[in-house]
Amino acid sequence: MSQKETVVKSITALDNGPKVLKLYMEMCAKCGTCATQCPVYYGDESRKYNPPDRSDLIRRIFKKYCTISGKFLGPLVGAGDVDEAELQGWVDRFYSCTGCRRCATYCPFGIDNSVITRKGRAILDQLGLTPATMKKVIEVSLKTGNTDGASVEAFKAAISFLEEEMKDEHGIDIKIPVDVEGAEYLYVPPSGDVLVNPEATTGIAKIFHVLGMGDKWTMSSLYFDGANYGLFTGNDADMKKENQNCVEITKKLKAKYLLMGECGHAYRVMKMMMEPGKWWGDLPFSIINCMEWTADLIHRNKLQFDKSKNTRAVTYHDPCNFARSCGIVEEPRAILKATCMDYRDMYPCGAENWCCGGGAGLSAMDSLHDFRMKVSGTKKVEQIRETGAKYVAAACANCKRQIIQLNEYHKTGWDVGGVHDMLSRSIWIDGKAANRKEYEA
Amino acid sequence: MSGMAFVVGGLMPYAAAALFLAGMVSRFRAWYKTPQPAKMTLFPAAEGGMWKDVLAETFFFPSLFKGDRVLWGFAWFFHATLAFVFVGHVRVFTGLADRAMLALGMSPETIDSLSAGAGGVAGIVLLATGVLLLVRRLGMTRVREISAFSDYFALLLLLAIIVTGDFMRFGGHFELADTRAWAFSLLTFSPEVPPKPMFLLHILFAQLLFMYIPFSKILHFGGIFFTHALIKRR
Ligand code: SF4
Ligand code: SF4
Repeated sequence: MSQKETVVKSITALDNGPKVLKLYMEMCAKCGTCATQCPVYYGDESRKYNPPDRSDLIRRIFKKYCTISGKFLGPLVGAGDVDEAELQGWVDRFYSCTGCRRCATYCPFGIDNSVITRKGRAILDQLGLTPATMKKVIEVSLKTGNTDGASVEAFKAAISFLEEEMKDEHGIDIKIPVDVEGAEYLYVPPSGDVLVNPEATTGIAKIFHVLGMGDKWTMSSLYFDGANYGLFTGNDADMKKENQNCVEITKKLKAKYLLMGECGHAYRVMKMMMEPGKWWGDLPFSIINCMEWTADLIHRNKLQFDKSKNTRAVTYHDPCNFARSCGIVEEPRAILKATCMDYRDMYPCGAENWCCGGGAGLSAMDSLHDFRMKVSGTKKVEQIRETGAKYVAAACANCKRQIIQLNEYHKTGWDVGGVHDMLSRSIWIDGKAANRKEYEA
Repeated sequence: MSGMAFVVGGLMPYAAAALFLAGMVSRFRAWYKTPQPAKMTLFPAAEGGMWKDVLAETFFFPSLFKGDRVLWGFAWFFHATLAFVFVGHVRVFTGLADRAMLALGMSPETIDSLSAGAGGVAGIVLLATGVLLLVRRLGMTRVREISAFSDYFALLLLLAIIVTGDFMRFGGHFELADTRAWAFSLLTFSPEVPPKPMFLLHILFAQLLFMYIPFSKILHFGGIFFTHALIKRR
């Protein structure tokens, strides 16, 4: 099949669904509202970053082949054919949308340009044009079960390091069980929360310890990374394959709860796509998120904290996938307010938050560093600066990476970490919080 | 009756109505049938509040209000007045509204002057907001750069209807009785067309609009239910 045929086939297929895409192809009123709400267009008002202009790359061809007006009137109604010479340029176009869905929140018709972006990336994937970094992450992740490509030994070494840390902090043994069959909870964070910013994971371990459930949970050495880059490349087969690994392992370990860590898109794929879509039929376990779980425990007074361990001003960055796509907004705030002295919201926040600028996998692409620093991340820097916060909590490994880089690039002087990190530093175990190096600047 | 007038006022109405209905039904059917495997919920989405939210979006455009308040102002008044004028035309074509108002104890003169007053204001609001929308589309880079000819055409067609309508309303080209007779004659399949140029132009443009809707972006007025239902479903 020629490139053109591949593109046309993939786009004309939309006439039969999914429904969202068919509607979005036919409906945009070209009113220009989404541009004012898009983090990318905010950072650079170039035409190539105007959301409907990007979406029109696909819409144009759909109109040409699937609508009566497009067939007869062509460019007059914004219809046009595939231009093979242009396809290479699509890579930059479709990898400059962060998939944040903010446009959909403000569009009078709820048109979600990120869905069209994902379609564009799916076409690029079929053409073999997916950026090398993304392809690599998927390969590694399918092979090793984590996006960092860490071996089972490396994972186990990291876990014993965390256990030692906790011993230093509290003077007692707090375990992180690995590969325990029959444990009630299987905890699946993003790999970064084991290998890079591991305090969120120690936070979870400490909660189980405090609840007296230290032996009722486990992690898996074969699946300790919920990240799923198939969502980002638009390749459904990859996305499902990765997801299936996790489901199989949860079943094998006979866990009753799949406790997802601080990773927005991982939870979204599980909770909003796999479960309602019944990819693997009915599940013998329930999918919960660590922030809902912890916030509920706090609400029921099961945990106590020494807030004086976290005195600096703290703000929370809502990962788009958690806030807009899963409705998890109050829970992280409940945790931060319980564990920190000075919590401040950004404006706007929650489901109206601005993307960090690294969504939809962009955060992992070093080739986009300049774009992320100077364009897509602009608004986030302004927003965080306005709060005056010194610690930025983000419940997502990709957001964290992006905000850490923004901090370095713009010399803003923030610390960046997770939500359970603050819990780990302040949770009471046997009447006192962790005793370790001074965090306060 | 001249041949042209008969075509525009005596034949085209049937074609326009048929095309509009067939077009819309086929679009609605296609949207309804198309499968949607994944959940697209966009939060905040109230448990069980889907239809309430969809209706709110349809009548008040709250998302747009949050997103671009100026555009909301133009767009809401434009659409609300269009809806109002549409209802007004039901009164023009039939005696139904009159009978209801007479039953409420209004005199025929009051009804006429009310209708002239409200219709006149509506005609001016439509013209003003329509022109503002056009100016906005031409004047703002971010809107102009995503507009195709069809985006201007939809607005120009509406403006043509509004202008000819205003001419009739303010230029004394308007005969209620004639219009009603015409509407009735269409229903009985024995068209009698008033030979008034402004009237004929007005209905010509209006019928073009109705025929165009199912094949253009203006069908957003039906599609909005579907798109919002998808993202507001919990
Ligand atoms: S806000 Fe919606 S309708 Fe308006 S241009 Fe953007 S996608 Fe199209
Ligand atoms: S999903 Fe986000 S980045 Fe992409 S077009 Fe919409 S607002 Fe812009």
